[in-house]
Amino acid sequence: MFYREAGQFKATYAADQAVFPIRQDRIGLALILVAAYVAVPLLGGDFLLSSVMIPFLILSLAAIALNILTGYAGLVSLGTAGFMGAGAYAAYKLSTLFPQVNILVWIVVSGFASCAIGVLFGLPSLRIKGFYLTVATLASQFFLQWCFVRVSWLYNYNPSGAIEVPARALFGLAITGPSASPVTRYLIVLTIVVAMTWFASNLVHGRIGRSWMAIRDMDIAAQLIGIRLYPAKLLAFAVSSFYAGVAGAMMVFLWLGAAEPDAFNINLSFLLLFMVIIGGLGSLTGSFFGAALIHILPIAVRQAPASVGLTIGGATVEHLTYVITGAMIIVFLIVEPHGLARLLQIGKQKLRTWPFPY
Amino acid sequence: MNIAASPHATGAQGAAHGGPLRDPLLAVESISLSFGGLKAVSEVSFDIRRGEIRAIIGPNGAGKTSMLNCINGFYHPQEGRITFKGVARRRMKPHEAASQGIARTFQNVALFKGMSTLDNIMTGRALKMRRGFLWQLLRHGPALAEEIEHRKFCEEIIDFLEIEHIRKTPVGKLPYGLQKRVELGRALAMEPDLLLLDEPMAGMNVEEKRDMSRFILDVNRHFGMTIALIEHDMGVVMDLSDRVVVLEYGRKIADGSPDEVKSNQRVIDAYLGVAR
Ligand SMILES: Nc1ncnc2c1ncn2[C@@H]1O[C@H](COP(=O)(O)OP(=O)(O)O)[C@@H](O)[C@H]1O
Ligand SMILES: [Mg+2]
Repeated sequence: MFYREAGQFKATYAADQAVFPIRQDRIGLALILVAAYVAVPLLGGDFLLSSVMIPFLILSLAAIALNILTGYAGLVSLGTAGFMGAGAYAAYKLSTLFPQVNILVWIVVSGFASCAIGVLFGLPSLRIKGFYLTVATLASQFFLQWCFVRVSWLYNYNPSGAIEVPARALFGLAITGPSASPVTRYLIVLTIVVAMTWFASNLVHGRIGRSWMAIRDMDIAAQLIGIRLYPAKLLAFAVSSFYAGVAGAMMVFLWLGAAEPDAFNINLSFLLLFMVIIGGLGSLTGSFFGAALIHILPIAVRQAPASVGLTIGGATVEHLTYVITGAMIIVFLIVEPHGLARLLQIGKQKLRTWPFPY
Repeated sequence: MNIAASPHATGAQGAAHGGPLRDPLLAVESISLSFGGLKAVSEVSFDIRRGEIRAIIGPNGAGKTSMLNCINGFYHPQEGRITFKGVARRRMKPHEAASQGIARTFQNVALFKGMSTLDNIMTGRALKMRRGFLWQLLRHGPALAEEIEHRKFCEEIIDFLEIEHIRKTPVGKLPYGLQKRVELGRALAMEPDLLLLDEPMAGMNVEEKRDMSRFILDVNRHFGMTIALIEHDMGVVMDLSDRVVVLEYGRKIADGSPDEVKSNQRVIDAYLGVAR
């Protein structure tokens, strides 16, 4: 491994202010993008695309949404799934009310709908902190979930109470509905997730991200520096619920194809919180790690025994997953609160200075 | 450091050497602050002149920190008036005090522990950065130019405080003395007109104290920054300050040049006598 910055002297602050100042990191990122855009669709089967990659990417985006609020701004939320649902139902209503507008437009616009609801719930939460704020987000979760069940206008009075994704196309190519191919859906999800991750990365590395982290670390000092708490926190709510809304809309339109209100229940909110904790609070890369681990772990637990000739029941798989996830959360909370992302960083630091300890 | 090149700093520097040195930057008039039944500050009045180092001393619990908290809007005194740059005000919020040019450091370091030294100091530029949300999303063009311009400014502060080597270190991992230095850097990044330092040398060894004294003097002499300094080390106070105000049990018991204060019998009884 030649993970070194030797010889890479940053002549300008512009180069050093870059999000990835080390060349190997930039090359690594480029390789990942090439693999994601070329290798995965070419080599991966439908199972890999539909059941592994698409859910992984969408959950990563939802984890980023929560990480912005919790990891960066320090506001612990248990309402992420509710906001995902808000985005999903908004996209459903908009695409059935105005079928002539492209569904991709509605997916993005539904982010704004979720954002508006997030701001609405965020406003009364600005004055409360810590535990009380978390309880308030829990209330928003239950309220939204109640709406998804009770407000039948939201699911177009469908007797089953579920929303079913209408078939929609882009340039004649089916992108939602049963006839949309996994590759098409995967590439759309990938593009949206890459673009939104890039925007999020720009935000958290600049003035706004610094003011969020300042509030997270020491809100009194942040105020005395001139940061206004309420607007900054509200912005975190807005951005976070926008991201959650888009993730929710994609979850229904590009992953599940249909959804019952239960898809956006409190379990999903908890799962996202686990992803953020295990992946790394305050790290976008960590959001991807966390999503990968939490989503792929049950799949691996299911398939690993089969590959060595054992058969285990579905309930056992579920229990095993819970046990492993729970153990990991405890380990990370105690040993490395910054999650997998920090472990990677430490590993890179070791490589950079190897073989010298400092 | 290039702070002197900025318009207000040269103005203040001019003032320090030239005419209106007597002009009070801040005037505190019969401030009283109580918490429930406890009077933390009682009818204290004093002023801080442009370009001076004004020490506030007194035994523990005398109300020094509370006084600073009133000045930067963190506490709201029940009585009295504070006039800053000629404008009197009753209540103001901490972020408003910041935007009017008051910066401070804390008795117990109040850094952003999860952020690097550089990011902490960059955060001090929050009020100077103007590019809006959409530019921040793109981090290109004007937003990046702004980011780099402020990075340059912060690098000058980092050079000045001799903390280049810990630029990228999360401040939570730094020893206490360096954290205090980073906190000073963050306050300097605000380019304040009035800098409030709450025991900047508490818990430091002799060498660190000497460095910190040098930085404080340089900030004052070269960049013309007005400083209010709370400090327990009498040697440091006598060396650095132009004038000293002494508090005891929330009341002002003396006010004057270091020599005057040092020979004041009440001060000797109340403070020096006890401390030494
Ligand atoms: N937020 C507060 N709530 C209650 N009492 C306080 C608070 N802040 C300060 N005090 C009290 O006010 C008095 C002055 O404290 P302080 O200003 O910290 O003194 P100093 O900085 O001179 O040591 C002390 O008796 C202290 O206990
Ligand atoms: Mg104090």
